[in-house]
Amino acid sequence: MKKIISIFFILAVYFFASCENKTNRDLEGLIVYQENQISWTRNFEPLNPVSICRWPTRGGIYEPLYIYNPISTEWVPWLATNYEWKNDNRKLLFSIRTGVKWSDGREFSAYDVAYTLNLWKQFPALDTRNAWDYLQNVVAISDTLVEVDFKRVYVPGFEAIAGAYIVPKHIWSKLDDPLKFDNPDPVGTGPYTEVLRFNSQVWELGKNHNYWQKGKPHVEKLIFPTFSTNEQTTLALLSGNLDWAGAFIPAIQRIFVDKNPEHHHYWFRNTGYSTFLHTNTKDPILQDTNVRKAISYAINREQVVKVGMYNYTSPAHVTSLAGPMAKWHSPKINEKENWTAFNLEKANELLDDAGYKWKNKNERIDSNGSPLKFNIIVVSGWSDWVRSAQVISQNLKKVGIQATVRTYDFGAWIARMQQGNFQMAVGWADKGATPYNFFKSMMFSEYVKPLGETADINWHRFGIKEADFLIKEFEQTSDENKIKNIIYKLQHLFIEHAPGIPLFAELSWAECNSKYFTNFPSAENPYGPLSVNEQPSFIFTLLNIKKR
Amino acid sequence: MNKSILYIARRFGFYLIAAFAALTLNFIIPRLMPGDPASIIFARFKGKLKPEAIDAMRESFGLTNDPIITQYASYLKGILQGDLGISIAYFPEPVSEIIGGGLIWTIFLAGSSMVIAFLIGTTLGVIIAWNRTGKLDTILPPALAFFGAFPYFWLAMVVLYIFGFSMNWFPIGRAFGNEVNPGLNTPYLLSVLYHAFLPALTLVFVSLGGWMLSMRNTMISTLGSDYITFANAKGIPSRLIMLRYAARNAILPNLTGFGMALGFMLSGALLTEMIFSYPGQGFLLLQAVQSQDYPLMQGIFMTITLAVLGANWLVDIAILFFDPRTRR
Amino acid sequence: MNNKNNLQQNSIFTRWVSGIIENQKAFSGSCIILFFALVAIFVPFFINSPTDFLGTPLSPPSFEYIFGTNGQGQDVFAQTICGARQTLFVGFSAGILVVIIGALIGGIAGFYGGRIDDILSLLINVFLVMPGLPLMVILASWLPPTPGTLLGVLVLTGWAWNARIIRSQMMTFRNRDFVSAAIISGESNIRIIVVEIMPRMLSLLASAFIGASIYAIGAQVGLEFLGLGDISTVTWGTNLYWASNDLALLTESWWTFVPTGLSIAIVSFALTLINFGIDEVSNPRLISERIWRNKVPKELINHGITPVTSQNE
Repeated sequence: MKKIISIFFILAVYFFASCENKTNRDLEGLIVYQENQISWTRNFEPLNPVSICRWPTRGGIYEPLYIYNPISTEWVPWLATNYEWKNDNRKLLFSIRTGVKWSDGREFSAYDVAYTLNLWKQFPALDTRNAWDYLQNVVAISDTLVEVDFKRVYVPGFEAIAGAYIVPKHIWSKLDDPLKFDNPDPVGTGPYTEVLRFNSQVWELGKNHNYWQKGKPHVEKLIFPTFSTNEQTTLALLSGNLDWAGAFIPAIQRIFVDKNPEHHHYWFRNTGYSTFLHTNTKDPILQDTNVRKAISYAINREQVVKVGMYNYTSPAHVTSLAGPMAKWHSPKINEKENWTAFNLEKANELLDDAGYKWKNKNERIDSNGSPLKFNIIVVSGWSDWVRSAQVISQNLKKVGIQATVRTYDFGAWIARMQQGNFQMAVGWADKGATPYNFFKSMMFSEYVKPLGETADINWHRFGIKEADFLIKEFEQTSDENKIKNIIYKLQHLFIEHAPGIPLFAELSWAECNSKYFTNFPSAENPYGPLSVNEQPSFIFTLLNIKKR
Repeated sequence: MNKSILYIARRFGFYLIAAFAALTLNFIIPRLMPGDPASIIFARFKGKLKPEAIDAMRESFGLTNDPIITQYASYLKGILQGDLGISIAYFPEPVSEIIGGGLIWTIFLAGSSMVIAFLIGTTLGVIIAWNRTGKLDTILPPALAFFGAFPYFWLAMVVLYIFGFSMNWFPIGRAFGNEVNPGLNTPYLLSVLYHAFLPALTLVFVSLGGWMLSMRNTMISTLGSDYITFANAKGIPSRLIMLRYAARNAILPNLTGFGMALGFMLSGALLTEMIFSYPGQGFLLLQAVQSQDYPLMQGIFMTITLAVLGANWLVDIAILFFDPRTRR
Repeated sequence: MNNKNNLQQNSIFTRWVSGIIENQKAFSGSCIILFFALVAIFVPFFINSPTDFLGTPLSPPSFEYIFGTNGQGQDVFAQTICGARQTLFVGFSAGILVVIIGALIGGIAGFYGGRIDDILSLLINVFLVMPGLPLMVILASWLPPTPGTLLGVLVLTGWAWNARIIRSQMMTFRNRDFVSAAIISGESNIRIIVVEIMPRMLSLLASAFIGASIYAIGAQVGLEFLGLGDISTVTWGTNLYWASNDLALLTESWWTFVPTGLSIAIVSFALTLINFGIDEVSNPRLISERIWRNKVPKELINHGITPVTSQNE
């Protein structure tokens, strides 16, 4: 019986192995992994925020006026060549690049830009950043000039307009309902626009022969097989059947790099912002700044990073800004209190002073005699954060605080966050090209909603007048020095009030196998981000990768 | 004959009720949960959406604040028209289209492994029941029971690890290779078989024991009946007794089980797909769960339920022909 | 009347228990289960905490950590042992609940018959044909991930099978003489079901309980493996979830998933053994015939026909 089975098995292997030629890989195409999928759907629609379009639709097929380089923290002119604020920052003028063609051969012009922005007005669902809240009017004055009029002065509005993906007027103007469009045959200005082959398991995107940057891109086509698990992705990277990926891989040095240090690379770049332990400042105990600081002092961030994050990242700076955002640090930062440093004594001292006494040497009680007890809510399945929360819970036990980790399904978690129905939670904070978005989300009192009401932002419900004033001032100015000063002051407020507790720096996952292709960016040659997940700035990398 | 038609119609009525119950459950579950489904759906965009955009998108997802009865009516109406809503993870693809792509693979995988397992298992059951002095009867049932005791996905993981990762004999995931183009061509079909081999093998392996044991046990009971003893006394060749007299009667419970097992098999296939990254309903379901794609999840539950109900009905009809007693 | 009844019940019970002890399969199965239960209850007090971060992540088995450490540097041995607690507790609780609900609904349907039976049978059959796994996944993904949720989901998807078996068994008892006698003597229906019939169904109920527990343990581990349980607790299912989350296959750290997988297999196999034993005690024909070989004349055996011995019936 055994013999029969084993013979059958060997025959089967032999039979199939002879049929499929495994070594045969197409070396003309760069194989990329960006999204977990088991079967592809043909969607190349860049505007709709809920539309799940194929990578690299946003950035690789459709391009914006300016692209923000998160490493140099500069706005790089792309489909526009220049911009200018006029009329006391009430008018924004964009000079549009000439010589750019849509991939179907038609000329690209300022009219496409104005059309795209007006599309947002017509279909508010496409206006993800709510730009028409401050926009008055967008018109193309000539083929190369777009004029944007503001209802009120709002300088940060530049980010939304400069980052808009521009679509061809001659295609979109013929649609009945742009909200249900899936754009199967894209016409864009980007470096890759031709869909060469498309089935449920693999598709290929060929280069745009009309691309406006002469001689680019270097690689003939991009190939996208489906990858649906971490194992599959890692294995393909190892075997040379995947060149460029943005996946989370645990123990990457041992699993991946050590197997071939010459070609196997990763670069988990610090994005400049931090992951947070959000504290509900409407909670009777957590509303006390000193309690929040005490909790922060009690967290052993080194351990959190080691256990929860595989030691990939680093403990958070007290402003939560690090890496490329460190350039915004206030010059006085070292004189300020550093409450993200691990300091049990300080934590105990603050809690003692706040009136929380020890009982039985293992827990603290409040004035009513009830123990100091909190829940930390985390999204179930977001395993790195669950681990981190578990470490935090063990850390807090040492200062007499009982913190229980509760995991919720994402939907339940976000509902609790938005309604303020939580005490502590591991989550993300808002970010942007400047720290303005971040500070606004942490301290702007107009964002604070009463408990029970849905808040899109500022879940921890903290706001102070001083911050409001600074934020409004920021929105009015385009003066570099003024901007810096405002950000410094916001940092001082953040450190003083501790509206949230930064845990560790956020990273973007990125790996490459340089066996067949070369010129990938790295920490030593950081011309762009290595991560495919950084939209649209992956395009710097996409344009530079070369066949070996 | 009239009675048979009545029987089939009655069974059909039953499955209609069952389907209705499943559909209602499918409708109620999300609405029992805290928070409204719409904000849960939009929450996955992590605050990228402004409230105005959300209101506009609400409509395109068909989420309204109508009274629950109206919602229920339009839900049932949508299903009758084959409209299962719009997927979130694959927006703006309709759920029905995404499911259509995955259903074929699941039916292929579950169906073929089920037929294979049924044939092999039943045959083995007949053999060991007939020959209960043999080594097979002492070894096979406990051995299969032991393997059956492992969590199914765990066994599949180990098989995948050994033959996929370590030995690199079989592919890890996907339904066919990257190089082939779907269609009626030999490389494609071979590639499909190659990719389905390991998942099907594990499925057959774990479900074999059930078929074998139930066949063995009913076969043994049948062999104890008077008419077998009588046939034996009459001197009918024992081979003939085994196949014509005993097995033919003993197979009926197994056949009835076939319909029921289909549900289990589909569930098994779902888990297999999750382990082997096979692009069927199961993997789709897992992805839907991970990306909070509730419309897709509900759609998958519905199609699987309907598939199982339909198959059960077909089995009922088949039994009618095999077992004259039901016709009375 | 009462005395006689007790006597009869006693004899059923003792015969059954002695049958189990004499039956090798059932006995060894019971011993394994007992061993696991005792270990799960008492050993956690003497070992490392399963949630503490102790050693270097993914270190292979050594003297310090006999099953090695997992991807987070936690003790796999401690996790395997402590994981048994919740897994077995939820598994057996689900088993009991399933049997109770099954006995209740199936028993009532079978005893009363008629309209009541029609409605309850419909309910049973509807739940029977509904595919369990997708329903479980849907329920578990909408509900908050707690052990209670898991229990509820397992019971909801598992009770129908037992209800059906118990119903048909009840129907055969319903027509037996002793039930008719009890009805005539004026005993209440509930008393008849609970006192007269249920004890006679003891082996059926026991095997139903064991079958349901096997199912519950397997399904629970499966759901947790998919990440649908509470991943911040330590159970066998979450152990496997974390193992696959830390890419156990790629890192070739077999020790993170083999101990748990084997434990689950051994427990379910032990339960299966008990069930085999119960089947054989109540239906001796199923015993593999090698055992009979010495007792029965050789000529009979090869014909595949069951020898009927005095023990039967």
